[in-house]
Amino acid sequence: MRTAWFLLFLPLAAQAADPLPAGEAAVWLQRMADSARRMSYEGVFVFRNGPEMHTLSVANRPVGQSSESRLKALDGMQREVRCTQAGAITVMSDGAQVRMEKRLSGRHFPDLLPANAASLANWYAVKLGETARVAGLDCTEVELVPKDVFRWGYILCAEKNSGLPLKAVMVNEAGLPLTQFSFAELKLGATPRMDPMPLSDMPETARPVASERVTVTALPPGYARIAAVSRQLPNKPGQVEHWVFSDGLTHISLFLEHAAKPVETMKGQSRPGDIHMLTRQVGSLQATVLGNAPWPAVEQVAMGLEVRK
Amino acid sequence: MYTAPQPREDETLSAFFDGELSDEMARSVLRRLDAHPAERRRYDEYCAVSAALRGLPDAVPDLTSRVMAALEREPVVLAPMRRIAPRPPLLWAAAAAVAVLTWSLWSVLPHPQEPLPLAARQPADQALPYLAAHQDYAQAVMSPTEMQFTRVSLAEAGR
Repeated sequence: MRTAWFLLFLPLAAQAADPLPAGEAAVWLQRMADSARRMSYEGVFVFRNGPEMHTLSVANRPVGQSSESRLKALDGMQREVRCTQAGAITVMSDGAQVRMEKRLSGRHFPDLLPANAASLANWYAVKLGETARVAGLDCTEVELVPKDVFRWGYILCAEKNSGLPLKAVMVNEAGLPLTQFSFAELKLGATPRMDPMPLSDMPETARPVASERVTVTALPPGYARIAAVSRQLPNKPGQVEHWVFSDGLTHISLFLEHAAKPVETMKGQSRPGDIHMLTRQVGSLQATVLGNAPWPAVEQVAMGLEVRK
Repeated sequence: MYTAPQPREDETLSAFFDGELSDEMARSVLRRLDAHPAERRRYDEYCAVSAALRGLPDAVPDLTSRVMAALEREPVVLAPMRRIAPRPPLLWAAAAAVAVLTWSLWSVLPHPQEPLPLAARQPADQALPYLAAHQDYAQAVMSPTEMQFTRVSLAEAGR
């Protein structure tokens, strides 16, 4: 009799794991993306990457059609990221010295999904999972399963009422976690106080690339170039071109600089396995391609580089 | 011949290092370490980097110490124990054989205090500015993660 009851529920269980229809998937994705920007909240989350674990505080408040946010590392070196519609900066404190740098992007948990999140449904199958509890709040697991080998998978947990991601786990092709973000404490609706940010007083650290010396013959499907600037890299003299390709969720950087000597082709991988990198020579340039992406995506960008004729 | 880094194998080694594997999987890793010198070198590197990351000069005690420490941490059972039926001699012999085999495999494990080869460290340092710059898009404000590098030919990279 017990077996018979179990069989009755089998079709329901199978249905729960099926990918959502495209429309429904887009709605879930957009709801999660919007809530991360349009809601006021303040909380503390834990970030885990391989053997490393860090605790950070985050605060967000909507301002007009955009939002302002503040991310602060609570352990290790004192670092803070401030984001407004006008731009983002990193503030680093080392004893009495405070250093500020402009950032190219202000992307951080829980605001991980792009503004046009619905388009991600082209590249990921979206599945709803079980109801869970994170930071004392109920949430629904939303799984983003990549449809090809060019991106990692994600498991998000969307807060029951607002859709705000309370947890985000980036997983590899075997479903093993690579990086994890999870709120430990969260106040929804709290309006955090934000000090004014002196963005306009700060020198520009990047300027658009004047003339392109290389071309990428084939990007992985769904990826597009979202930035191409000339900038100085931390602790490295001289200007380097920094291009960024993205599908909205995964980001791959290309760095181009003059090669003073023949470049050895090097392939790299981070210990947890989330970052891949390849350095090679393209004409008279050294090209370094790296991203929080599976090897085939980084490889396709790097091997598709050619000198522009 | 070039061998590409294997993320799943690295994760297994990491889990093994953290003592998170089942007995059966741990035995399988030990067999792999015994059979493949390259695997042993990677495990060696992993131990050294993990120790450096934690800022501990001797973060990885030898396995015998770890096993003995784990045995000492075993909880004291206060409830009366069930009487165990005497085992057939064949099982005891098999258990002894497994113990000898396990000990011999442990003895060939790499020494965790050996420094990371300079060739592996140098490109990792050179990669730091790129990793730091990429962090503008990488979801966090953390220090860049450490990397493991392999020199390859262009044909191999494209494979």
